[in-house]
Amino acid sequence: MKKALFNFLMLILMLGILAACGPKEEETGPSETGGKGEEAKPEKLVVWEDKDKSGWLEKVASDFEKEHGIKIEFKEVEMATKMRDQLRLDGPAGTGPDIVTLPHDQIGQVAVEGIVAELDVSEETKHRFSESSLAAQTYDGKLYGLPKSAETPVFIYNKALMKEVPKTMEELYDFAKANTSGDQYGFLALWDNFYFAHAVIGGNGGFVFNDDNGVLDPANLGLNNEGAVKGTQYIQKWYLEKLFPNGIVGESGGSAMDGLFNEGKAASVMNGPWAFGPIGEAGIDYGAAPLPKFADGTPMKTFMGVKGWHVSAFSKNQEWATKFIEYITNDENAKYRFEQTKEVPTNTALVADPAISEDEGAKAVALQSQDAVPMPNIPEMSEVWKPMADALQTVVTGKAEPKSALDSAVKQIQQNIEANHSK
Amino acid sequence: MSIKKEKYLRLTITYLVIFIMFAVILYPLAWIIGSSFNPGQSLSGSSIIPKNATLAHYRELFDPGRSNYLYWYWNSLKVSILTMVFTVILVSLTGYSFSRYRFAGRRKSLMTFLVLQMVPNYAALIAIFVLAFLTGLLDSHLGLILVYVGGQIPINTWLMKGYLDTIPRELDESAKIDGAGHFRIFLQIVMPLSSPIIAVVALFSFIAPFADFIIASILLRTEKNYTLAVGLYEMVAKQFGAEFTNFAAGAVLIAIPISILFLSFQKYFVSGLTAGGTKG
Amino acid sequence: MAESPYKTNHRRTAFALSIIPGLGQLYHKQYAKGTFFFILAASFIYVFADMLNIGLWGLFTLGEKTPRDHSIFLLVYGIVAVIVLIFGLAFYLFNLRDAYQNGLKRDRGERPAKLKEQYQNLVNSGFPYLIMSPGFLLLVFVVILPIIFVILLAFTNYDLYHSPPAKLVDWAGFKNFVDIFSIDIWRQTFFSVFAWTIVWTFTATTFQIALGIFLAILVNQKEVKGKAMIRTVFILPWAVPAFVSILVFAGMFNESFGAVNRDILSLIGIDPVPWMTKAVYTKIAIILIQTWLGFPFIFAMTTGVLQSIPDELYEAATVDGATYYQKFKKITLPLVLFATAPILITQFTFNFNNFNIIYLFNGGGPAVPGANAGGTDILISWIYRLTMTSAQYSKAAAITMLLSVFVILAALWQFKRTKSFQEEDMM
Repeated sequence: MKKALFNFLMLILMLGILAACGPKEEETGPSETGGKGEEAKPEKLVVWEDKDKSGWLEKVASDFEKEHGIKIEFKEVEMATKMRDQLRLDGPAGTGPDIVTLPHDQIGQVAVEGIVAELDVSEETKHRFSESSLAAQTYDGKLYGLPKSAETPVFIYNKALMKEVPKTMEELYDFAKANTSGDQYGFLALWDNFYFAHAVIGGNGGFVFNDDNGVLDPANLGLNNEGAVKGTQYIQKWYLEKLFPNGIVGESGGSAMDGLFNEGKAASVMNGPWAFGPIGEAGIDYGAAPLPKFADGTPMKTFMGVKGWHVSAFSKNQEWATKFIEYITNDENAKYRFEQTKEVPTNTALVADPAISEDEGAKAVALQSQDAVPMPNIPEMSEVWKPMADALQTVVTGKAEPKSALDSAVKQIQQNIEANHSK
Repeated sequence: MSIKKEKYLRLTITYLVIFIMFAVILYPLAWIIGSSFNPGQSLSGSSIIPKNATLAHYRELFDPGRSNYLYWYWNSLKVSILTMVFTVILVSLTGYSFSRYRFAGRRKSLMTFLVLQMVPNYAALIAIFVLAFLTGLLDSHLGLILVYVGGQIPINTWLMKGYLDTIPRELDESAKIDGAGHFRIFLQIVMPLSSPIIAVVALFSFIAPFADFIIASILLRTEKNYTLAVGLYEMVAKQFGAEFTNFAAGAVLIAIPISILFLSFQKYFVSGLTAGGTKG
Repeated sequence: MAESPYKTNHRRTAFALSIIPGLGQLYHKQYAKGTFFFILAASFIYVFADMLNIGLWGLFTLGEKTPRDHSIFLLVYGIVAVIVLIFGLAFYLFNLRDAYQNGLKRDRGERPAKLKEQYQNLVNSGFPYLIMSPGFLLLVFVVILPIIFVILLAFTNYDLYHSPPAKLVDWAGFKNFVDIFSIDIWRQTFFSVFAWTIVWTFTATTFQIALGIFLAILVNQKEVKGKAMIRTVFILPWAVPAFVSILVFAGMFNESFGAVNRDILSLIGIDPVPWMTKAVYTKIAIILIQTWLGFPFIFAMTTGVLQSIPDELYEAATVDGATYYQKFKKITLPLVLFATAPILITQFTFNFNNFNIIYLFNGGGPAVPGANAGGTDILISWIYRLTMTSAQYSKAAAITMLLSVFVILAALWQFKRTKSFQEEDMM
């Protein structure tokens, strides 16, 4: 009896599963996907801006509201990882924003996942921006964002400890030799972190993915070629000669280095423009310049990061959201944003603008950008960071030789790309 | 003579060990307190006895214009206290059933309870998020509290049941003969005798939310709603600019109330845990 | 009624009628109960029909059209639907059983229970169920549902390239499990990480247990003065949230600026130790830290057990001329271990999954040449890395599942061996 009953109930359960026919087709009207055509004007748009950066939106948003009658709500979300992670969750839940901002190296990934929408903007709008920054926002031939700002590491020095900016790395090396002792350091850089190390590795001829007319080939890696090995040897030299302490190696190295510089214990560092704010707050009289070049005149090939404005694929008001990001990236608003946030826009019309060319930090970034390469934005890039960081860490701590460490990193990257990205 | 000598030696070694342990325990704690008074932001400049001690970090935390710390503190207290209350209620009920009644599936459920907490749950965070979304509890403290309470049930039921097993059944039997109902026996006879284990369960469920920065960061979507754990974790985990000294100040302010609570409950949980966690 | 009211057939009739819940009860003239059952069933169908429909369909297909269907959300809906359905069926079963049983009573010539008796009956036999149900419900949705989700996820192909909303996720059978063991880079990493996970679990846990018991015995000596104060200090590490302590330790162990190298070791003239960049030292450091974090709990518990051991045992042993060591080995240790065994086992499983310390102390590092995981990565932190950098969600779920099965089996095996579990009354 019991058994029979149980079987009967299981049968109902199974029938239930098979009979369930899913959502009725008519229920899924165009309202859900926000079909093309004349889109109704939304009441408001929700914007997520980077942490501590939303001050400027106040004015621009109210201007936009006056013009179009659409209210703009904005919220600060940390950009590097949280923005994407929250969009993944909040988007489908319907609690997400219409507009987000992301670093461009995530574009490939978010485009593949389909959480940001392809943009439909006029050629005129596109021509506002520098070509390389627009390329950074493009994946698989489609435009996914409008550039907000560009950044790249530069040379930052403490004017009290360094009177003259070295022209070449040789000079900097001599300076560091002479000025590093005890708790004092002449020059510090996080060269166990591939983001910063790429300047040296790339400068010597290494590359991540082969760039064939703007198309990156993830099967062709240049991270263990002759130049990369030479660059890594150069990096190793700084650590083995104790010019860089072991305490700035690894996860917490960044904060250790910032601490040293902000306390006046390091004469100069290689760091991104995001460091200007805290350095100023710490009361350091600092200067910024492009990084010194190598002896033969080749520049440091820093990674350039382009932050962009994107329209969430979950947004029901994609057309208006697109209009909004076109509005906030126009020359006037981009300049206003620069004045408020000190993040350097990529609008070509603004390069010569005195607001930027007379700002020491912005100028350093703009000049260094000329020698910088955009970080690859294809999803395969996510497999590069960790093996490279591991390889660099083993090299700078003297546990491995540059050549063998890079070979094994490249092998690992290839295997991981094969395992995780063979579509 | 030799007995006395031996005793002397034994006690000397004992105090020596205790002294060493004191140093090992107190040094990191002193260090974090020291850091919280250090000027500057970073770890590298911190020292245990700061040269120019400053209250700046505490002031910053308490300034609502510059930091959400006060909100977080309030949220954490709210979440912790409610989690504690709900957990104690639910766990007393489940623990009591398991201890006093024999019903179908009892043995298996008890085993399941122990096993459940061994499954690492963060891989399932998306599931918790979707569930919270379905029930409209996203970004609400209620949702978070329910998740915490649910997570607290297995191990604490186990502890509670163990303790209740040590309370003689004859007590309930005689009350029953006197005509007391189920609820009366539970509330008036058994619960008053269980204060040690209730203290233990209350304490465990109170501190659990202070240690979790993972579930809370998934469920709470706005910064003002964060709990202390999430807020502090983000403070120190930021890649390019750890606010270590602020973090230290924030941590000191969490540790103090919890320590006081702990220490005032101490006499209960020695007896509560023993009988509850074991077989008494 | 078509059937003649043949005496021995009430049970069948009622049972058949109760296929529509409530009718059987009405047939027994239990009007209130019957109506209640009927309304309950009707409202169940009314409230949940849509959800069951979408949920079950979603569970089966994981979605059919891309922008509309979000596979992962559907998967969760599906699990919720199945849970709701199981509750519904349990009620249905109860309804059928109730009708049948009361029919049986009538067939035997007894009258079915009146409402008041029913209530009494319900309270008496249902009391444990009644008071457990809130906790149980919460447990099902908050703890069990996510576990089911992970198990199901392990059988899908959810990764970056099959990721909603752009793509649908599909059922993939055992592919993930096959991949873990057949793709070189996964297999090698899996076993090397697994080996360290085991070593870590045993050393760290054993240390914290040994230290906890040792200190408890030490402080429990009659002659020791200031017990309350000593115990207070010994419990302090437990009172500070673990993630705070770990981050503080991470700062203290910094090679160039941390207090350990700069203040302590230099004071006694030892060269700085590469805590963060050499795997063996990081391993030592995290084991020490975990001991620091974990011993107070064992200490508090053991103290309690020690206080419950009657003095006569020791006195008798002293009369027999037993040494301290003998007393410890023959009396104290067995009693303590016996009493605390279940909790001790959970300490092992806790460390097996101790993500926080590995991740917060050094991010699983330092790097090891030519390896896919960091030098101190345990399985759980390695899984985390997989999901974060490579978006291999389903593979991570598969590994989580393997891991859980392993821990659970090991723990159950240990529990079964533990004497305290074998007594019927314990369970």
